[in-house]
Amino acid sequence: MSQTQAPATSIPIPERETPRAYLTEAQWRKRLDKLAAHPAMRHDNIHLPEGATTKLSGLLLIAGAAALVITILGAFAINARHALAAFEVGLFTCVAMSLGALFLTMVFHSLNAGWTSTVRRQFENVASLLPVCWVMLLGVVLIEVLGGGILLTWLSEEMAGDHLLEQKSPFLNVGFFGVRFLIYGLVWLVLSQIMVRTSLKQDETGQRGLTRVMRFNSGWGLLVFALTTAFFAFDFLMALDFRFFSTMWGVYFFASAALASVSVVVLVLAVLKGMGRLTGAVTEEHFHDLGKLILSFTVFWAYIAFSQYFLIWYSNIPEETAWYVYRTGEGGYKALFLVLAFGHFVAPFCILLFRKVKRITGLLAFMAAYMIAMTVADMIWIVRPMVYVGEHASENPGVWGGIWLDAAGIVAPLCIWGFFLVRAVGASPLIPLKDPMLHEALAHKNYV
Amino acid sequence: MPELPKIPSVSEMMALASDYMPFIPKPAPRYVSEAGKPVHGIIAQFSKTPAVVHAAERVRDAGYTKWDVMTPFPIHGMEESMGIKRTILPAIAAGAAITGVAGALAMQFFMNSDYNIVVQGKPFLAWEPFTPITFELGILVTAFTCLFGMLALNGLPRFHHPLFARDRFLSVSDDTFFICIEASDPNFDPARTRALLESVGAESIELVEDEDR
Repeated sequence: MSQTQAPATSIPIPERETPRAYLTEAQWRKRLDKLAAHPAMRHDNIHLPEGATTKLSGLLLIAGAAALVITILGAFAINARHALAAFEVGLFTCVAMSLGALFLTMVFHSLNAGWTSTVRRQFENVASLLPVCWVMLLGVVLIEVLGGGILLTWLSEEMAGDHLLEQKSPFLNVGFFGVRFLIYGLVWLVLSQIMVRTSLKQDETGQRGLTRVMRFNSGWGLLVFALTTAFFAFDFLMALDFRFFSTMWGVYFFASAALASVSVVVLVLAVLKGMGRLTGAVTEEHFHDLGKLILSFTVFWAYIAFSQYFLIWYSNIPEETAWYVYRTGEGGYKALFLVLAFGHFVAPFCILLFRKVKRITGLLAFMAAYMIAMTVADMIWIVRPMVYVGEHASENPGVWGGIWLDAAGIVAPLCIWGFFLVRAVGASPLIPLKDPMLHEALAHKNYV
Repeated sequence: MPELPKIPSVSEMMALASDYMPFIPKPAPRYVSEAGKPVHGIIAQFSKTPAVVHAAERVRDAGYTKWDVMTPFPIHGMEESMGIKRTILPAIAAGAAITGVAGALAMQFFMNSDYNIVVQGKPFLAWEPFTPITFELGILVTAFTCLFGMLALNGLPRFHHPLFARDRFLSVSDDTFFICIEASDPNFDPARTRALLESVGAESIELVEDEDR
């Protein structure tokens, strides 16, 4: 008989419940019931009343349509280049806001960020407008291609012999451009629909697993988001001057996108708070954190913008430097450059450093609106100088000439986009109702 | 704005310095234990988080200023329960940042205006190459100020703390909470402080002696 055999009368191990990392389904349902009884989860606190948004959305639609008509008239009255540039400034701001919101939604999911649960629905609403943006972009693309290169001069016949364009033709040709444009649309449609629909489905069913679905899709989503955003910026913003190139360009556009999206969400939340909604669900603690995001992306934008400028300034390569010569030279763009340096970075940086500014909803909402205006100014600075260059310089009506066309062109896409945003906000609950991390967001507090 | 901390009196600063410099005499203790050693304070032991939070609220309301709560993990909301004001560190950091930025700009300006060298045909005193240096020096000065300012405001580093001499206190890094009210607190009174700690539900109360030198 073996010596090592265990004695028959060993001490019995007490039966223990297997430790669980997750709640059981019954525990989860119990927590949902507890959540539903939370004072912040009153129905009228987290829903807008039926038809509360129709007035505002109708107003925006009328304003957008009127501005669009004025823009089209302006295209004939002044010229098509001017009108298209103005429209693109507004449209790129819309695309930036929607793309940034999609990015932040996916970041919140992949970081498992509990405090964002109550503000995430508004990010989803902004991101859900990506298909709208794509349709408006389709209009621009059709005008460019059928018009034979209005602002995207590489499409025009006159540039056919240009040596630099010939070298870049494997990338800059109509066929590949069209394919890329379709890919952007497809990726943005799929990603925004996954994020928005899954979240809305969770509101109804209360399935915890849907959060994992969204987290999984955020992983690959962030990768293709980065690629499509960078290449969108190359195709639509950098290619306005096909001789210019900057490997930082994608990040530069992304910085504006992230900044503008947080700003627009702060505005939406502030308006909802003003309507007496979201009491206890979105508090000054959430605004404080969103304010921190605005501050950090303001710094990030300045960091990227300066780094890009600095390298080009130092190396002094003609095809790169020319881009900055247009934008810091004649036609009032030097002034705009300084407005961006101080108004887009120095002033908001100093103001947003203060804790109080981030915690007072009205002040932060004002800063958010201001940052959106600065993003528009940034887009003007990128797009507008390309209108009256080269052979078109003689048509230049001056800085303030045709300002009405600029205003109408910028406002038109923003109003149309705003119409869809207001409709989206009114159509769904204002916060995700059954998010597994909702209790964290409802108890969110900054301990500094 | 966070409230400015009170400027310590000369005797307080001498007491602080005596912790670091052995040739500076220690101030005479307010209280001496039966063994003849100076009294550091009284510690009270707790084993439940809510108990220590509520006890801290009571000690705060009793008006003590020189006391601390020791816990094995951070307890959110303890600052409010202890009545700790916001730190002055952000203001100090802002001052450091302005100093760093101004110093960097001044340094580069004087270096470049007195000793002009043409580099790559760029203009003298161009703001572009100044920017990274200004940024980096601003960050450097601010980061060091934040780190060392935080340590200084916390009274760190220090060679020794009387609490570490208590064997019972070692479990503070495991599963026990302590409140320590120091004898240097103007409100400290051996009998009344002990009675207060008893009334807030301490599981055990001990006198902590300081080391003689």
